[in-house]
Amino acid sequence: MPNLALKNLLHDKLRSAMTIAGVAFAVTLVFVQVGLFMGILDNASVTIDHLAADLWVTSRNTPNVDFAHGFPETLVQRARSSPGVERADNLLIQFLNLTLPNGAEEGMLVYGLEDFTRWGMPWAIDSGNLEDLRRGAYMFLDASAERRFGKFSVGDYREVMGRRVKIIGRSREALSFTTSPIAFLTYDLVQELSGGRMDGRTTYILVKLAPDADATAVAAELRRRLPHNDVYTKAAWAKRSRNYWVASTGIGLNMYLTVFLGCLVGVVVVTQTLYTSTMEHIKEFGTVKAIGGSNADIYRILGAQAVIAAVIGFIAGRLMAFALAPAMEKIRLKLIISHEFAAIVFVGTLVLCLVAALVSFRKVAKIDPALVFRG
Amino acid sequence: MPTAMAPEPAAKTVLEATRITKVFREGREEVSVLNGVDIALGAGEIVALEGPSGSGKTTFLSILGCILTPTSGRVVVDGEEIDPARSHRLPAIRKRSIGFIFQQYNLFPALTALENVEYALNIKGVSGRAARDQAEEALAAVDLVDRRRFLPRDLSGGQKQRVAIARAIAGKPAVLLADEPTANLDSAVGAQILELFRTLAKSEHRGLLIVTHDPNVRSIADRVVKIRDGRIVADSAPPSLATRVTARRGKSKEKAS
Repeated sequence: MPNLALKNLLHDKLRSAMTIAGVAFAVTLVFVQVGLFMGILDNASVTIDHLAADLWVTSRNTPNVDFAHGFPETLVQRARSSPGVERADNLLIQFLNLTLPNGAEEGMLVYGLEDFTRWGMPWAIDSGNLEDLRRGAYMFLDASAERRFGKFSVGDYREVMGRRVKIIGRSREALSFTTSPIAFLTYDLVQELSGGRMDGRTTYILVKLAPDADATAVAAELRRRLPHNDVYTKAAWAKRSRNYWVASTGIGLNMYLTVFLGCLVGVVVVTQTLYTSTMEHIKEFGTVKAIGGSNADIYRILGAQAVIAAVIGFIAGRLMAFALAPAMEKIRLKLIISHEFAAIVFVGTLVLCLVAALVSFRKVAKIDPALVFRG
Repeated sequence: MPTAMAPEPAAKTVLEATRITKVFREGREEVSVLNGVDIALGAGEIVALEGPSGSGKTTFLSILGCILTPTSGRVVVDGEEIDPARSHRLPAIRKRSIGFIFQQYNLFPALTALENVEYALNIKGVSGRAARDQAEEALAAVDLVDRRRFLPRDLSGGQKQRVAIARAIAGKPAVLLADEPTANLDSAVGAQILELFRTLAKSEHRGLLIVTHDPNVRSIADRVVKIRDGRIVADSAPPSLATRVTARRGKSKEKAS
């Protein structure tokens, strides 16, 4: 059967290109906006995602991983003695001031653990040995700190809360939502640098489950043993940390608004071009009716045109977003586009293109086939 | 008023319209376009429908082609009586029994000659290899097989009209309705198309109604029906060539005297 929809699209190359460009533009916009949003949100939970903890014990109502509150560090013993717990350690996260060589002070987020290697943190190391952290006033500093602190090298010293700390290692990819650079120091050193306010206190207890342990049951037991704390699974804690920023900063609203505008632009462009195309082919559609075709026959043609535009436009938009990712990375912006999200955008593109075709559907439904007799 | 001439007794009537009226509403006004017209078309018969602009030709053609329903009157197409209350049946009757040929050809510009015919067959419910074979057959009947891969833009006016005729005859409808089929063609090509019409109607026993201003159509018509102000004012066999020459000479003599 001749595919009239496809043939019409190929016949009207310029208009088809405009339709597809409209869809591709909208798809690219949605991918880039949501991809950047996901990239930024990823920073809000990247350390949670990489830390090898199955459960997190936090102080009551801690809103996100960066805004930690203290509680007695001895509570870790209750966690360690719980059935199903293989290991539990204190994690101290604090905002501390670092003095730059030019005298300026900047804040940074420090992670303090007794043994980072046990918890797989930091997960990407450019240089240095984590075992050496215990040998003195040393720290690992993430490479992303160069944006705020300027260039640094392993072996350099920086003042943290007035005390000289040597940089003995360099990590990658450890980012915070607030863009504060992340450093890794021993638990004791972080307590010491905190100037006494965190003496005997921690901010989190990391829990690793024993093999075959039931996470829900262990979490319930921990809640029973630590009634003044909250206990989260890794996924729940990561979600809570991300949601905090979505709700509190308005970036979620901004993202939804941009996605809505992108979709609107796409729908308007596709509606306009499909409708113009329909009007130009109105006599052909009248002919289809005159030779016995029904409205459904014409809907199939218009629907197929919309679907073809959606599929090609989606592929073009996806490729454009794919091509933009390296350029984004150069300016240190992460573009995260999951397969699930791509599938959602594909279905959304199909639906929106079909919605755009509805205006044309209404037009052809009213075609008088007698128009074929008009010269 | 002259009455419609019945087809020859041997010819099966493929299209019959009796006492057709059509009234259009324009705001509060009612405009009566057809006022009780009759026509009958036999298989293999060619009828030329002539009339000035605004006489109701196109409305009548639309009713005969089951595109419009009459305000009153009876239409029977290939044995099936049209029920105005069941207008949803009209597309099915058009598919089965009627082939249209238009003044502007109305070919699908994105489809080749073969695909134009094939697509019409698809609409009629014929698909796949059968549609392809029947389309080839229809193009062969109009002597256009060698142009089957051409797009309409690459065909001459006469060739486009041949494709349109092939599309109309594909599926073997009992009735062919042509609206000014030679209006856009020069006289030589127009004559070829008319000859093709004559051959198709006679050899395949299709009823052919041609709405026209072109006097050359009379050369192939079995009857000429004239319509004016929504009424049939003449329905007769066309004058033979000899009669026409005599009549013309008579007029010349009158002028000379």
